[in-house]
Amino acid sequence: MQARRYLGSFDWILFSAVLAVAGVGLLVIYSSTVGTPVAGAFRRQLMWLGVGLALMLLALIIDYHTLAAFAPVFYVLSAVLLVLTLIVGRTVNASQSWIGIGGLQFQPSEMAKMATVMLLAAYLGRERVRGLGAFNFAALAGIVGLPVLLIMKQPDLGTAVTFAPLLAGTTFVAGIRIRTLVILGLIVILALPLVWSHLKPYQKERVRTFLDPTNDPKGAGYQLIQSLIAVGSGGILGKGFLSGTQGQLQFLPEQHTDFIFAVLAEERGFLGSLLLLGLYFVILYRCLATARAARDRLGVFLALGVVCLLGGQAILNIGVVVGLLPTTGVPLPLMSYGGSSLVSTLLGLGLVLNVWTRRLVN
Amino acid sequence: MANPPSFRGAQDYTEANRLGTRLTVIHVVFAATLIVYLMSFWYLQVIKSDHYRRLSDSNRLRRVTMAPLRGVITDREQHPLADNRIAFNIRLNRDKVADLEGFLPDLSRMLGTDVPTLRQRLDRARTRPAFEPVILKEDVSLAEAAFIESRRLELPMLSVEVESRRHYLHGTMAAHALGYVGEVSEEQIKQENDGTYELGEIVGKAGVEKSYDGKLRGAPGWKQVVVNSHGREIEEVQEGHRPTPGRALSLTLDLDLQRTLEEAFADEAGSAVFLDPDSGEVLAMISRPAFDPNVFATRFSQDTWDGLVRDAKHPLQNRASLSKFAPGSVFKIVMAIAALEDGIAGPGRGDMCTGGWRFGDRTYQCWAVRKGGHGYVKMREAIVHSCNVYFYRLGHEMGIERISRWAHLLGFGEPTGIDLPREEAGTVPDPEWKQRVMPRDPVWHPGETISVSIGQGALEVTPLQMAVFAATVGNGGTIWRPHLIRAREIREGVQEAENTDARVRTVPLQARTLEVIKDAMWGVVNELGTGSRALIAGRDVCAKTGTAQVFKASRDVDADKLTKEKRDHAWFIGFAPRDHPQIAWAVFVQNGGHGGTTAAPIARAVLEKFFAKKDGGSPDRRPPEARVASATLSR
Repeated sequence: MQARRYLGSFDWILFSAVLAVAGVGLLVIYSSTVGTPVAGAFRRQLMWLGVGLALMLLALIIDYHTLAAFAPVFYVLSAVLLVLTLIVGRTVNASQSWIGIGGLQFQPSEMAKMATVMLLAAYLGRERVRGLGAFNFAALAGIVGLPVLLIMKQPDLGTAVTFAPLLAGTTFVAGIRIRTLVILGLIVILALPLVWSHLKPYQKERVRTFLDPTNDPKGAGYQLIQSLIAVGSGGILGKGFLSGTQGQLQFLPEQHTDFIFAVLAEERGFLGSLLLLGLYFVILYRCLATARAARDRLGVFLALGVVCLLGGQAILNIGVVVGLLPTTGVPLPLMSYGGSSLVSTLLGLGLVLNVWTRRLVN
Repeated sequence: MANPPSFRGAQDYTEANRLGTRLTVIHVVFAATLIVYLMSFWYLQVIKSDHYRRLSDSNRLRRVTMAPLRGVITDREQHPLADNRIAFNIRLNRDKVADLEGFLPDLSRMLGTDVPTLRQRLDRARTRPAFEPVILKEDVSLAEAAFIESRRLELPMLSVEVESRRHYLHGTMAAHALGYVGEVSEEQIKQENDGTYELGEIVGKAGVEKSYDGKLRGAPGWKQVVVNSHGREIEEVQEGHRPTPGRALSLTLDLDLQRTLEEAFADEAGSAVFLDPDSGEVLAMISRPAFDPNVFATRFSQDTWDGLVRDAKHPLQNRASLSKFAPGSVFKIVMAIAALEDGIAGPGRGDMCTGGWRFGDRTYQCWAVRKGGHGYVKMREAIVHSCNVYFYRLGHEMGIERISRWAHLLGFGEPTGIDLPREEAGTVPDPEWKQRVMPRDPVWHPGETISVSIGQGALEVTPLQMAVFAATVGNGGTIWRPHLIRAREIREGVQEAENTDARVRTVPLQARTLEVIKDAMWGVVNELGTGSRALIAGRDVCAKTGTAQVFKASRDVDADKLTKEKRDHAWFIGFAPRDHPQIAWAVFVQNGGHGGTTAAPIARAVLEKFFAKKDGGSPDRRPPEARVASATLSR
């Protein structure tokens, strides 16, 4: 009878929205890869969706308290894998971020995201400090910092950046003092020139291009301009499925991964963009509602961690597509092609569903 | 807010509230960001949608110019001489290659073209928009084209272009008359201020290909096509304007005569022109050594080009209209006409040739010096046996001004006006000329008049001028502008005659003069004269031989014992038949020795072919023994 109770309290809205976004993502992947060298992407993504949904179910069935107990294990395991990636990893697009196990390729950095979320939640779930002190903050920064450093070493700046909203969101909700926040802000501002001087030339170029894309329309600004043209030329109703000229004629770069939202916007128009933004809002809204409704701090921070990670990625990705943010190479959760990202996202959402299902004190 | 996180114990209540408030902040941040994004999408997709739609169209739609098919060139009987064929070019999309310089070695390996050549080709296109493909290798084999085409995915920056290419069916045959085509040069574009030429266009560079380029070229068309980001054409969306094909040209050349001439010329260097003496139509024209105009049909043949331009034998030069040589004894015809017309001498004027004439401090020799001269000769014998002494004295008597005036009147010293891009005028010297070109020695010496009298000295003519002169004598005084175009297509399948009246002027020559000259020229061939190797029974061939000196000692040395380069140039001009001639010619063999030996047989071969075609059968030939006999007897 417990099963029926759980079933009754299952968050069908979140689950449906997730399935809808993943489904739309599959269609857009099909549209943007058909007739190209990566035409097999659709079938592979479909397979990964199945794997992801299975793991999501697993993450839902096992009580999240049990799962959280294993958080340090997952965390250490993913850190080891990240180190291993740096040693034996496969290099794609100049970044060594892939590892192969028995013919299967995956990105340990995606696994590290969820492991970090779980360890953060486990840590904050035990602490009952009124306001977050410097020591607690240092602990949080350390938990986030280790995988970030390892991922930046690959170097995969895009993935590393997605940890920033996670750290920011959790520390904020955990109750960082305004004073600490101001000091941190000052440190960041003072450190910016130092960071700039340590950026790689291509990274600096991306920032400059973002500030003025017309500066170099055939070089680094090309992606940005082509993305804007794809989105804008879609109009209200879009050019139709498989009819987006920017995508079908391959003017759009990385169209089945980083710029997948542009393909959608071109073929489905403003109405399509509206629908997808709406679905993402529903997902984020339900996750935050879960955090709000969680029966304990562990549940709060699990759901919050997932929402910060996914919401942050969605914002970073779509911001690039509409030209509001510089190109970082962040995949769009649930939509972008890529098995590791999809599975890790579904796993995280499984945790959120878990927290919601067990929100009522038994 | 309505459902704050539940915690154990009352002390947690404020803590839970604080968490709830902060979660609301996160919520607001997400909601606000999504609203900003929604506004961005609204701005891009609704407000600015037309703008981006246009940009998207200009991205994928490309105006492509379509080259017209060049007009076909045929001979006078519509046998094709130059047409077009399909060729494959390999092109590079520069904007698809990030590191062009670094990619060059790979390209070089794939295409089998060295890096400097590739770089040169890319340099040529530096002023063109980056999306415009650059042709890297032209006229590749079907296998090479298939190799590139089958690697579209690995090599998206390379594509295969199909285009039509000029094709000269007979290779080197009539190469100088036809000329060749090539990519329009930057200088040519600058010269043509009316903007008729576009970069990359194929235009005529020499011969009738150049002089009739405006008719042959046609007009390019355009169409609008959808291209992908690699510049590959996906589909045609708008039929713009089809190219207007160039007009066909029908030449005056006769392929059969031309072929016979080419064969008869064998490996000799020189030139020959055969004309219709009643219209100025060029029936055959040769210049040797020749080149194959097909090698110019490709855009990039720098090495071949350099080789041809630097070749010491100048194969590109059309010797018919651009090379000047002393006319030698042929000029005696001009001398005779001038003397007869101006009443300086009658046909009965006689003179004694003892093998030379001492004038001033020099002896002017006759080529017959070794057998003691020609003895007493009248004008006719002087022409038939080409006696120098006779014309030395006649020239001295006439004076240079009179000689010069008649030479000019008969068409020397001025371009013939042939429909080829460039032409030399030659030189007819006189005291005024010498003053102008030789300021250091401006005085005309009487000895120079004597040299000019036998066609030497500063006198220079082109083989073409000589052919026109032969036609003028043959037809009784009418100078025709020689031309290569007989008719041109004015619209599909309809031809219009060109050059219908190419008459330059008629020199009023007395019937008696013509009779004497023609009779003497008949004798040159038919009475064991210097041109007897051109004898064709029943055809009344009239001709005059000439020798342009190359090596000073050649008068005293047997020509056959000299090395080839030191031998004299051989002339053989004439017309046939004697009355109402149907063909006139000038044959010039460089270092050919004596005109009667090397040049006459060439003319004879063409004449036989000409009359055979006229009669529809083979010409009357003398038995070979008779020809051998006459060859040993005559000189």
